[in-house]
Amino acid sequence: MRDASCVLREAKYDIRNTIYAMRNTIMARKQTRAWISKHNKPRLGSLSRRMLFTLYMLAALIFFIAPENWTKEFQFTFRRVFSWPLSIGRNIQLAAPAQPSLKDALNRREIQYQNYIANLEQQLRIKHREVEKLSNLRNRFPLQGAKLMRAQATASIDGLHSMLTISRGKDDGLDKDQFVLADNSIIGTISDVSSRTAWVKLFTDPTSTIGVKIEQLDVDRTMKGNSNNSAKVQLFPIKYKVKVGDRVFARTKPGFLDAPIIIGKVTQCKRDDEEPSLWDITVEPVCDIENLNDVTVIVMNP
Amino acid sequence: MRWFRFAALVLLVAVLQASALANLNIKPDLLLILLVFFAIYCNTSDAIISSFTIGFAADIIIVGSAMGPQIISFGLFGTALAYLRRVIVIRKMPYQSLAIFITALLAGLLTHFLNLLKGEPAVPNIYAVLFWTSLFSGLVGPFLFLPSAWWMRIKINRFSRR
Repeated sequence: MRDASCVLREAKYDIRNTIYAMRNTIMARKQTRAWISKHNKPRLGSLSRRMLFTLYMLAALIFFIAPENWTKEFQFTFRRVFSWPLSIGRNIQLAAPAQPSLKDALNRREIQYQNYIANLEQQLRIKHREVEKLSNLRNRFPLQGAKLMRAQATASIDGLHSMLTISRGKDDGLDKDQFVLADNSIIGTISDVSSRTAWVKLFTDPTSTIGVKIEQLDVDRTMKGNSNNSAKVQLFPIKYKVKVGDRVFARTKPGFLDAPIIIGKVTQCKRDDEEPSLWDITVEPVCDIENLNDVTVIVMNP
Repeated sequence: MRWFRFAALVLLVAVLQASALANLNIKPDLLLILLVFFAIYCNTSDAIISSFTIGFAADIIIVGSAMGPQIISFGLFGTALAYLRRVIVIRKMPYQSLAIFITALLAGLLTHFLNLLKGEPAVPNIYAVLFWTSLFSGLVGPFLFLPSAWWMRIKINRFSRR
């Protein structure tokens, strides 16, 4: 009997020890798992990946819905701070193509003279009309009294936007909406200005709208940028005769421009697909905007 | 992750993209190539941070554009690629090219739709431009991984058999 009870007691001890051993093993495994997961868990400070992604996405959405007036300051600050390396980068890009030959220089000079003559012709036409009217209004020559401010320019043209950064700003009397000339033709208007820098929105920029007139035709229309180094004249009825090569002039604007100045040439003129009673007129600049080094800003009331 | 080196690299690439490559008609998207590089070779948390940061850089280099679309699309697809990399190893150059091409296409499309949502004007022939930019980026990208890895002190083990 005693042997039997001893065996039973030993068996009980064995079972209890086995249970303890198993429990310890399970506990050790749990601890190991916890340690591994703790050390493998991707954390940055105390942020998990999901939290990190959520926070960044939230910040991105804030940027997305914030007014552009606020967010564009980041872009302007980048241009201001890195203006020097950006200009070096552009010089590298500009240095890559072959140096402009004498022929190119002559061509450019010719374009400048052609634009100048076109401007004079248009001004003369207007003067003739004024003389015919024999008005007693005070008259003066176009751009008389206006200050023509020369500035260095660097282009920033990508697929979407066409802008120029110029080396003059508010301190030089520049202001928003002033017209900008290059090779005697209008290339755009000032869209933003800081104390020493200004940004020119080219008339080919999709957000640009500018008042224009096609030579010979006494019809005022607006021209909207088309981003692909061209612009479209809006709502031009087909009853007017327009042909490829016609010159387009920027309309006078009180306080900003007192004489029409050439802005581009008609490069395509066809019936509008959506509205057959209107022309679809494409206008391209009359100067090589991409290779501009300097521009002139018209400050009408210096 | 060496964040100071990362900042210097992103700034350098942003300046290059905004200046030397700005006026080319068809150009590789260097920032997107960097995005894929960090998504492939960094851990997921670092890849998330670098994706959004590169998206921010891509947005600020274009004056006049709306901010946000590129941050969102770069962040989203950079993170997705970082998670995908945990399942599929993208180590050989053809696969890297393909990853860059697909990411560029998807990120470009999302950016385009977000721009439309914000009322931004669309580029003419946007899909053609997007395709050629993605293709060019895919072709050039893997070759830029080597100098990027050297600068970031990341071992890329391109030729290992793992």
